[in-house]
Amino acid sequence: MWHALRTELVYSRPWLLGGLGIATFVSTLLIVLTVFVNDSDGVPGFVVGMFPVIAGMVVAFIAQGYRSEERRARLLLAGPMTPRQLAALMVLLPAFLVGLGALYGGLLVAVAVLIAGAGALEGATVPSLGVFSVQFWAYAQMGPLAQEASAAHRQKRGTAAIIGWAVFVGVILLLVASQFLFGSTYGSVVLVAVIATTMVLAAVLYAGRTDFTR
Amino acid sequence: MTANTMNAPAAARLSGLVKTFPGFQLGPLDLTLEPGTVLALVGPNGAGKTTTLNCMAGLIIPDEGGTEVYGAPVHPTRTEYRRDVGYVGEESGFFQRWTVKRNLDYLARLIPSWSRDRATRLADRIALPLTTPVIKLSRGNRTKLAIVAALAHGPRLLLLDEPTAGLDPVVRAEVLDVLWEITEDGEHAVLYSTHVLSDINRLADELVFLRDGQIVLRTGRDELSERWRRVSFRLAENDVELPGVVEHRWVRTEHQIITRDGEATIKRLSELGAEAVEVSRMSVDEIAVQILKEGHHVARTEN
Repeated sequence: MWHALRTELVYSRPWLLGGLGIATFVSTLLIVLTVFVNDSDGVPGFVVGMFPVIAGMVVAFIAQGYRSEERRARLLLAGPMTPRQLAALMVLLPAFLVGLGALYGGLLVAVAVLIAGAGALEGATVPSLGVFSVQFWAYAQMGPLAQEASAAHRQKRGTAAIIGWAVFVGVILLLVASQFLFGSTYGSVVLVAVIATTMVLAAVLYAGRTDFTR
Repeated sequence: MTANTMNAPAAARLSGLVKTFPGFQLGPLDLTLEPGTVLALVGPNGAGKTTTLNCMAGLIIPDEGGTEVYGAPVHPTRTEYRRDVGYVGEESGFFQRWTVKRNLDYLARLIPSWSRDRATRLADRIALPLTTPVIKLSRGNRTKLAIVAALAHGPRLLLLDEPTAGLDPVVRAEVLDVLWEITEDGEHAVLYSTHVLSDINRLADELVFLRDGQIVLRTGRDELSERWRRVSFRLAENDVELPGVVEHRWVRTEHQIITRDGEATIKRLSELGAEAVEVSRMSVDEIAVQILKEGHHVARTEN
């Protein structure tokens, strides 16, 4: 399973590098325009690190789309992998891609501080970046859940489809509310618990499939 | 029959297999494929050929019944049977942006019984372009890649889902050559689904005709060729009862019939005093068209 996950990450590498490249360009441009051209006090630190996290989330959606479009399950089920392992692969891939984006975001913030000085960034950078990373991670995990709720509906697994879509809608509403309610580390912990639940549900729905042709 | 062959499990066995989709039900299907046999699953689009093969490959879980491959139950959660199954379908799950070689290298690490040597020999033999990205391969080369991927781990059962569909005549002949070479050693049991009827003559020992999710007939290829005949004759009487006739056209005294029991029909015509009797053999393609047109009626009478 880990080999398959690593392979999917390697397959996603061109998109990830492209996304992080664009994020670096945007963040740099933002710092240059704000600090050096406008001579402002600085930009919020989390904004500098946020673009790579967004890039990771977008690449997670792209990777999921390609896996589905290219019918990867057919290839993996020719080997010794089980549906449970495929399910784990499906939910871990977005987590790793967003995680890589968050790591790069943190690195970018550190480099920005080194080059432009601590005064170039405003606010509590690391906690804010963490909160935003968790939110984007949650959005990235919505992809597999939507896919599996849809597959359950297609395969006439009514209860599974209803649970899948109900949780999907619930989590989306929670994510929208979290923009206003949980701007804190505590809120992020709640969100992580919700994400974990979402991942487990998506994996359970996948393992319960009756059709692995797509 | 030796004790060994009596105890040998079937290459594949479908027992009461049922799979239902909105507006379509496959089965119940009962089918046994013996080792070393090439069996063609013939039917029009939507007959249930691909669903049958997907159930046999463990990609679809049937609603009822089950499948075994060399005695091992087929199910996505089981892995024992996969060692013996090679599947060539239109969609094979390859990494489209990677080259053929990179995909084959990946499979070599993924599948424990994969033989790099066998994969290389097969790829050489069918001139597979290893350095081309899969997305840029022609349809024929994609089929070749699927064949190499299906065979490199040494399966004893090969499932071929319309491998020549959509190919131009030259590439189709090339792919059929490859399949013929692979199957002629008699080591592989092959289930070959097709609606390209001309493929049948080349490869299949036995034919299973599938229509609307049901098996309408199972027969040997040679048996069909021996029995089915197109007959023309002259007879004043039009309302004649002839055995085995599935199609009968006439203009005044000139008759043309297609019969699934040539011998009995000709004997009866002789008794009736028919004149200018001309008998011609039919190709397997022509016979298949008749069977699929007539469906259950032919199946009932044939059996």
